[in-house]
Amino acid sequence: MDGLVVGIDLCDEYTQVNCPEKEEAWTIPTVICRNRNADEWYVGEEAYAHTLKGDGIIVDKLVNLALRDGTATLGDVRYEGKELLRLFLEQVVCFPKTEYKEKQIRQVVFAVKKMEPKLNALLRECAVKMGVGEKRIQVVSHSEAYIYYILNQKREIWNNTVGMFDLSEAGLRYYEMKVQRGMKKTTVVAEYEELEEGFNLDILDTASGGRLADKILCSCAERLMARKSYSAVFLTGKGFLKWDWAAEFMKLLCSKRRVYMEQGLFAKGAACKAVECLQEEDAFPFTCICEGRLRTTVSMNVLHRGQENPVTVACAGDTWYGRVSVIDVIPDHQDRIDFIMTPLDSKKKKTVSIPLEGFPKRLDRTMKVQIQVVFLDEKTMEVTLTDRGFGELFPATNIQIRQEVML
Amino acid sequence: MSLLLCRQERVNRPYFMEALGVHLYSSQELSYVIYNHPLLVMDGFVDGLLLKFLREELNQGVLVAKLERILKNKDNTDDALTIILQECDYYNSAEVSRFRKMVAMLRKKNPLDFKRMKADELFSLRQYGRAVELYKEILDCPGNVRVDPKFIGTVKNNLGSCYARMFRLDKALEAFEAAYEATGQIQVLKRMYNLSQLDERLVLSDKLKGKITEEMKREWDNNLEKAKEKAAQSEAVQKLEELFRKDPVKRQAGEAALLRQWKQEYRHMAVD
Repeated sequence: MDGLVVGIDLCDEYTQVNCPEKEEAWTIPTVICRNRNADEWYVGEEAYAHTLKGDGIIVDKLVNLALRDGTATLGDVRYEGKELLRLFLEQVVCFPKTEYKEKQIRQVVFAVKKMEPKLNALLRECAVKMGVGEKRIQVVSHSEAYIYYILNQKREIWNNTVGMFDLSEAGLRYYEMKVQRGMKKTTVVAEYEELEEGFNLDILDTASGGRLADKILCSCAERLMARKSYSAVFLTGKGFLKWDWAAEFMKLLCSKRRVYMEQGLFAKGAACKAVECLQEEDAFPFTCICEGRLRTTVSMNVLHRGQENPVTVACAGDTWYGRVSVIDVIPDHQDRIDFIMTPLDSKKKKTVSIPLEGFPKRLDRTMKVQIQVVFLDEKTMEVTLTDRGFGELFPATNIQIRQEVML
Repeated sequence: MSLLLCRQERVNRPYFMEALGVHLYSSQELSYVIYNHPLLVMDGFVDGLLLKFLREELNQGVLVAKLERILKNKDNTDDALTIILQECDYYNSAEVSRFRKMVAMLRKKNPLDFKRMKADELFSLRQYGRAVELYKEILDCPGNVRVDPKFIGTVKNNLGSCYARMFRLDKALEAFEAAYEATGQIQVLKRMYNLSQLDERLVLSDKLKGKITEEMKREWDNNLEKAKEKAAQSEAVQKLEELFRKDPVKRQAGEAALLRQWKQEYRHMAVD
């Protein structure tokens, strides 16, 4: 089947684009410029060039602009942030389209720094307008793209903890990934820490600044990586385009470990995910636990044929955004709804009860309760309980109880 | 203590349970009706319409096949009810077993007793029209002359109560008179007296008047007054008064809705 399979790492500072099995990753500053005299648009370095030349008006931080429903006036026309983002993305995908002589996009996966439902919806909207089918669009966090990238490497790279430093203009992040082999599906857990020690990359232009940066990274590595066994460590981000300033840091990292420099890692991870999306459902043999995905399984015990069985409302590893679970139950001698929360560490399993306060008093088993569960973020579940009555025998009052539950 | 998981039943055409005057939208509601109203479902309930509902709306093809076999072989149709309860999984096995015993016990009843119990149940469900039909069937039954006169008296009394609830006071008085003749119960006499007080066109015979002492009159008048006062304070009357305090134009919609509701209720209770 024809069409481009593409991974796009979209940040406010830069955007990187990669296609599976291709080493090349385009890095484009996330800026767009409109020609003052014609309906022409430029992105990245070309946008800067036209702005410097004076025949273009530039807009930057496109993700943020779209997220806060901002607008920008270019020439005499006011553009919505999401429109500019779409124009930018259209221009960006032209690079691989031209390079690989493809006209259509078959599968696109966006990797974003922070997973937000609004950004997810925005990017989906943009991609649909670009002609991509709704089901062929995915938005993942950097953590997830990192997982997909690493798992697509040789097994010896990820048979133990895999660490990664991402040094960019936006800051310094440390990622860590572990593969947990269990009885069921193998679970991959990736976490990150936003390091306060992040610095402006301009300091790397001077020797003293470089030495300071080297010291900072060494102290971070000593703190974060002490007494841990790593199978590999990755370095990514604009800050590691050159590494002559980080001699001590390199020395520290390279002791008994494999260290890899990899630019465009998130875009490459997104591209790996895009390939995965084209495979049969459930072909991926791992459960990913990372930003954008739940860390806890939520279930309820229900009676079926005289036996209590758990019913899963949401599973650890499921995406939390845009997920709505609706279950109808009938309480039997019970005036509350119990949820069982099972985190990865099953010893921390707990039960959360929501009493049916304010619901009408009826004969037993004559109240259908609709349970709707949505997730506000990875750690917060919003439960809405509605009295759906019992047909015409006991009409519904539609009384609702809404409660947020911390996972 | 537990939760029953509801099946995903997307019912477009609900089953109309005639005896109760309600539509059923799920297997749980069907089970509830069968379990709680065995008298209403023991004769002819499992028919083509119910099977169609089970097959097409509740997607219970396997259950329907079992029921069809029972109907075809003219086996005990009470088993059909038990099978429905088992398959719908709304009641546990102990409850289904209890239901089976209850049905077996009801089957052993005298046919007239059974019919009266069914009529009484319809009365308790405010299905007065349907109850009247059954009470009349009992009274018209050729074999009832051999039955205890008290039984017949009770049936006549209940028939009178049905008519009274349907505001057919003349027929109610007639039925109560017959009941009093059969039982001689003071309570029946009181009912007749109250009817005559509510509707002046209803006049008690001299014979009946003679049975009522001054003391009885005082007590019954007193009770009736109290009942009227209580009714005046009821939520329904309060709402009605509130509606009529409104501007005549504004209250039109409310009046129409209330009238519609009353008509619906009356049709529901008086249908036979």
